[in-house]
Amino acid sequence: MQSPVITSLEVAPKPEIPATVELSHIQKSYGDFVAVSDLSLRIRAGGIYGLLGPNGAGKTSTIRMIIGIIMPDSGQVSVFGEPLSPAHRDQFGYLPEERGLYRKMKVLDQLVLLGGLKGLTTAEATKKAQHWCERFELSAWMGKKIEELSKGMQQKVQFIGAILHDPKLIIMDEPFAGLDPANAVGLKDVLLELAKSGKTILLSTHRMDQVERLCQSICLINHGRAVLEGDLTEVKARYGRTNVQIKYEGDAAFLQEKGLVRSFNDYGNYVEVRLVPGADAQDLLRLASSHARLNKFEVMEPSLEEIFIDVVGKSNA
Amino acid sequence: MRNTWLIIRREYVERVRTRSFLVLTLLLPAIMTALMALPAKLASMGEKAQHLVIVASNQQFAEAVRHELLAAPPGDEDEDADSSEKAATPKPGDQYIIDVDTNATESERTVLLDKINSLAIDGYLWLSNDAISSGKVSWYGREAAGFREKTWLSDAVHRVTLQQQFSEKGLPPAQVEQILTPVKVETIRIEHGREAKGSGTARILEIVVMVMLIYMAVLFYGISVMRSVLEEKNSRIMEVLLSSASSTELMAGKLLGVGAVGLTQILAWIIMAGLFALPTLAAQPNLSDLQVSPWVLVAFAIFFLLGYLLYSTMYATIGAITTTEQEGQQVQFLIVIPLVLSVFMLTPVFRAPDSAAVVWMSLIPFFAPILMYARIVVQTPPLWQIVLSILVLIATEAGLLIFCARIYRIGVLIYGKRATLPEILKWLKYAKA
Repeated sequence: MQSPVITSLEVAPKPEIPATVELSHIQKSYGDFVAVSDLSLRIRAGGIYGLLGPNGAGKTSTIRMIIGIIMPDSGQVSVFGEPLSPAHRDQFGYLPEERGLYRKMKVLDQLVLLGGLKGLTTAEATKKAQHWCERFELSAWMGKKIEELSKGMQQKVQFIGAILHDPKLIIMDEPFAGLDPANAVGLKDVLLELAKSGKTILLSTHRMDQVERLCQSICLINHGRAVLEGDLTEVKARYGRTNVQIKYEGDAAFLQEKGLVRSFNDYGNYVEVRLVPGADAQDLLRLASSHARLNKFEVMEPSLEEIFIDVVGKSNA
Repeated sequence: MRNTWLIIRREYVERVRTRSFLVLTLLLPAIMTALMALPAKLASMGEKAQHLVIVASNQQFAEAVRHELLAAPPGDEDEDADSSEKAATPKPGDQYIIDVDTNATESERTVLLDKINSLAIDGYLWLSNDAISSGKVSWYGREAAGFREKTWLSDAVHRVTLQQQFSEKGLPPAQVEQILTPVKVETIRIEHGREAKGSGTARILEIVVMVMLIYMAVLFYGISVMRSVLEEKNSRIMEVLLSSASSTELMAGKLLGVGAVGLTQILAWIIMAGLFALPTLAAQPNLSDLQVSPWVLVAFAIFFLLGYLLYSTMYATIGAITTTEQEGQQVQFLIVIPLVLSVFMLTPVFRAPDSAAVVWMSLIPFFAPILMYARIVVQTPPLWQIVLSILVLIATEAGLLIFCARIYRIGVLIYGKRATLPEILKWLKYAKA
């Protein structure tokens, strides 16, 4: 016999940050091809969320379902705690992977149009467009046609178009692709600022280094399924410290020791070794030092890239 | 609605601002005017040089034929012509110089042939007594006489022959004249139970103008809609737009925006025509009685707009299905087929405006813009048929718009190859909701 008090305690909601996006068991196939299969994920309000996955994993399909460009065959998409509806469109800012702007349209006109479609008045959109163009050093180009701009500049214009209306949910599909390092840093700074000001940012990419530096939480999808989801620190901790970075001179025979080395990656300047599960890094150190001259031997936590390759490899197997 | 309006505004402003819009708006009327004016100019230049010789042994006969020829030059036999128009035509003497030659001998024939060769004369009419009594006279000219000229010549000779025969039988000239006066049939059209002004020529013109305008508008702006859909697909901006507005809003905005550009241009042409061309046209004898009833104008506006929208929507659909402009061009002949069929159907409309075939064809939305309009011009059909065809047109457009918007939205998923029909059907299934 359970007492009613206990029951009510169990039902009481846990205090947690409200979800900006919640996908539950969404499914999407095109004919025989299953793009997204039984995918559930939860994106908390605020911060940057990384959506990872190899090409063709279903990232873009997932994003399109969040925005409502395509509808899932089954499953539920909720945003801001409500079932997705066209009324939510103005709260989204979307930078698609396939960039596109009207080539013959002038930069400012284009931004005013995009802002207008998101509900801004012409005056508001103009003011904000001017502000952002200044920030991205595009002020001199506002009267130019898109086709007169370089690829990088076009991309900045498109980025401004995505955030102009101050959306609550910003979705960026490969935002850094095609940007030079200086512009990439500028873009990253803006994204971090937006995240700090309480916006939710969904970053879809296969550039692991960016995710590692920017994201608080990640979801790794492969073949349309979530294979890894959670806080970045948590995910990494789960994988343990199984990596060793070695700089050496001389005989590399120790790398062939199957009892210790599961795999290695030669980067030229150094070698990154993955230990066999359960193996002790100290054994490898002794073996290596007996063969070669070591300049560096460092035990590290695995990079996201390795986790990615490992998880994807496993789920493909 | 706001989104549709924004798209309409973009399509309109961006297009009207282009240089090609301005050039086309100004240049086309200039080209059309030149095309219309040039043949007339050339023809009149040719007419001035006409120099003929009538060769006959009988001088009196030759003079009579000359008189007849000058009294009724070719091109004046139009069935719609009335006496007031005759006054407007230039004096025949301006167009023809006719000499009489009574030396009907073989040697004279050689002289005349030389004259033709040296361009001194344009031709001669051989009216020797033998030829007249055989009932077959000949015209020798640098150019074989056209149908009108042939009729002109043989009518004159025939008339004079009859006059002569009647005179020989002792009839007084006044009576001969009376006998030879032809009977003319005048055509009067009944519209709304009253006699309507407006000749057959004028009605054909009302229909031809409609066909031309629809054709031009569809060709210029339909392709423009198709291109712009393709551009959005290929430039991938579609995906950004779809994250901000529904595909139906986008499609409707595009069609109406591009449509408005076309209407602006046509309006500009009509105004230019009103300013420059109409005074000239009104001076033309055949068109001086051109009067278009307000009813026809209303029908024109309605059917032109609906037809234009229907065909543009079809072009937009092609843009949504295909992936490159070349592919689009290959498929777009499908759209021109119903237009061409409509033009073929115009003859039955003229002959039997109430026949079952014509009635049914004019209710089919793809033919209705031209055929129903043509029926209204030729003979007002029952009101229910007009209303029905308008409703069918509107319903077809709405359906096509939704169909096209869905394909457009799903097109976001597929780049790189043209969709097959089964694929399109599948897409439509995905696009539900």
